Amino acid sequence: MIGGAGMANNLEDRWQQALEQVKTWARANSPWAIHFNSGSCNGCDIEILATLTPLYDVERLGIKLQGSPRHADVLLCTGPVTRQARDRLRRVYEQMPEPKFVIAVGSCAISGGAFQGCYNVIGHIDEVIPVDVYVPGCPPRPEAIIDGVAKLLQVLQGTEVTKPL
Amino acid sequence: MSELLALLFFPAGLSLLAGGLVYEWVDRKLVARLQNRMGPRWYQPLADIVKLLAKEEVIPTGVNKLLFVGLPIAALAGALTSALYVPMFGLAPSFSFPGDLIVALYLLSLLTLCTGLAGSNTTNTFSLVGATRTLTQMFSYEAPFLLTLLGPALAAGTWQIGGIDAYAQNHLLLLTQPIGLLVALIGLMGKLELSPFDSPEAETEIVAGALTEYSGRGLALFRLGKNVELVIGLTLVASFYLGGLANPLEFLLKTGGLLLGLSLIQAVMTRLRIDQTVGMWWRYGALLVLAQWLLLIVTQGTVS
Ligand code: SF4
Repeated sequence: MIGGAGMANNLEDRWQQALEQVKTWARANSPWAIHFNSGSCNGCDIEILATLTPLYDVERLGIKLQGSPRHADVLLCTGPVTRQARDRLRRVYEQMPEPKFVIAVGSCAISGGAFQGCYNVIGHIDEVIPVDVYVPGCPPRPEAIIDGVAKLLQVLQGTEVTKPL
Repeated sequence: MSELLALLFFPAGLSLLAGGLVYEWVDRKLVARLQNRMGPRWYQPLADIVKLLAKEEVIPTGVNKLLFVGLPIAALAGALTSALYVPMFGLAPSFSFPGDLIVALYLLSLLTLCTGLAGSNTTNTFSLVGATRTLTQMFSYEAPFLLTLLGPALAAGTWQIGGIDAYAQNHLLLLTQPIGLLVALIGLMGKLELSPFDSPEAETEIVAGALTEYSGRGLALFRLGKNVELVIGLTLVASFYLGGLANPLEFLLKTGGLLLGLSLIQAVMTRLRIDQTVGMWWRYGALLVLAQWLLLIVTQGTVS
């Protein structure tokens, strides 16, 4: 009897594991992104738009830009956080359904960059919301942004061991 | 007996869902290639759906919860049910009775109706605008689309999909009713909110239209419903206008050809404003089809 219960548990565990694997596979293959500018100079935003052009064709990786935070998995943040944008940034983040990830694009998003110390700037992105991946550059090239997303997906799948973010 | 039928239908339902995903991929890939891109991988639609199903479903405040959860299910169920009356994959329809054409068409419209209701159920402004546009568009394309599918019915003298299919296998309606084919194809694009007619979900204006507030499961079901509807719509048009669907090979070739046409139109056209869409349908679509109807009735009267 005990053996039977153990088997059942084992089966259930395996089923759960398989289910998790399928979920992770789907997540890693279909990252829908939303782009939010919380005070950037627009340089990073132009690069993000360049990333979405047919030249780089991110649809081949399953990346799709979504308009609604409700549909998105990845939040691409650019720029420092200004006083006005703080609440909006937080609200956009909270509107996204779990599981959700944040990529900070550009030096300003990482550290405040050129806007550090400005009277209207609070600071960098991870002072407001948790960030998973940082893409440095002023502005980063489209290749770098795609690489940031790819790193995120590798971490998701557990194929890349990284230091705690 | 009924359990047996249900069991028989279940794999058919699954294969229909799988077919929908494949057709979505073919469509996306074709559009991508026409835009000189690589396009998505073959399992992309599957990954999208599984991911959405595994995601959290946020139910926003201010909505009727029952409707919010129930509408996607009703939409998908309507689309799947209408497949029962259509010669899917070139096989004979599972159910058939005189006048099932009308039932199938109304079941197909359920998806659009549910989308509109889902949009107006939330308090989100974008959803409301999207819902208004969805319903407006429905009122504009529905009548011409219905008329184009009734043209073959008139020619065949039966309103039973199986009967029309049998008639079409001997008469190439593409030659006798070319306007019907054109309007039916474009009507299908309006129904599916594909590129020139995607103002109800224009992401550059109103975020995602009626489905802005949907996340996770609800969105996945709506997408699945749309995919299923793409397959059913293509099947109907191919069966009526391209000489019937006698076997699965013909099904693949004819619907594939139609899909290529759809992708071509999607890739070369930009979005129409909602008033342009409505104007186009009523001014040209409906009038052209009516003219063809008149011709049909007159010639049939003189022939018989
Ligand atoms: S990192 Fe450079 S390009 Fe990006 S927002 Fe800051 S100043 Fe502009």
